[in-house]
Amino acid sequence: MRDRRTFLRSFAAGVAGLMAGRSERLLAATGLVTGPEDPEVPNEEVARILKGLFGDRPIRRGHVDLDMPIVAEDGRVVPVIIESDLPMTPDHYVTGVHLIVDHNPDPHLAAFHLTPELGQVSLSTRIKMKRSTWVRAILETNTGEVWADYAKVLVTLNGCG
Amino acid sequence: MSTIGEARIKVPDQINRGDVITVNSIISHPMDTGFFRTAEGAPIPAFFIKNVVVTYGTREVARFEWTSGISRNPVVSFTLKADREAPLTMVWTDNHGEMFKQSTNISFVSA
Repeated sequence: MRDRRTFLRSFAAGVAGLMAGRSERLLAATGLVTGPEDPEVPNEEVARILKGLFGDRPIRRGHVDLDMPIVAEDGRVVPVIIESDLPMTPDHYVTGVHLIVDHNPDPHLAAFHLTPELGQVSLSTRIKMKRSTWVRAILETNTGEVWADYAKVLVTLNGCG
Repeated sequence: MSTIGEARIKVPDQINRGDVITVNSIISHPMDTGFFRTAEGAPIPAFFIKNVVVTYGTREVARFEWTSGISRNPVVSFTLKADREAPLTMVWTDNHGEMFKQSTNISFVSA
């Protein structure tokens, strides 16, 4: 798990370096705030989705664990597990978890609206993926904080047609 | 799992008051994206679950907004703080407005 994350981070840094010029232009145009190790915002649509959901709030990495396979052999059925160590109490809780698949036809794949009655944040499902891409799991809290984790998934069989 | 809308909810057999339990669910649904065609070339229209509402007793505890990007025969699992004996109900609604409902009872082992 740690190895995979280390690999993905270095891979991400490489990709970010290659794409830096374009990424910076897109970020400057949208006013989105992301960290240096985060995957670039690949297109206007994802930029619009992030802006619509989180506005100008910084999207920080942390408190979320997005667990997906490194290689998805069948893009029609890709397992996703999203967990968080943030509390689920009436005063402090996670209100929503958004799953965004950058290069899918409909990138904002799912939204999970939660309440403290769930006790903790631990969600799993199965999704379709069109091609290799970054996946973003971004959650927001009742106090307006935004936390994220990212996974790069290599897709060998297109699951979207 | 062949009839559209046939659903199951699974919770642990033994639950103590206050446990945070895992709830597993599955519903039979084609989750057609609208991007595919039949072997004869006719387009298959989009047909998918777009909304899931989870109710514990009388309170709504979670609500999921989905697209056709969720895989065929959608599974979803989540946690629940089992602090009262009450029915747990899930209602799945597809893009045709059809609603499918399934329930299970949250009850505690007698101490």
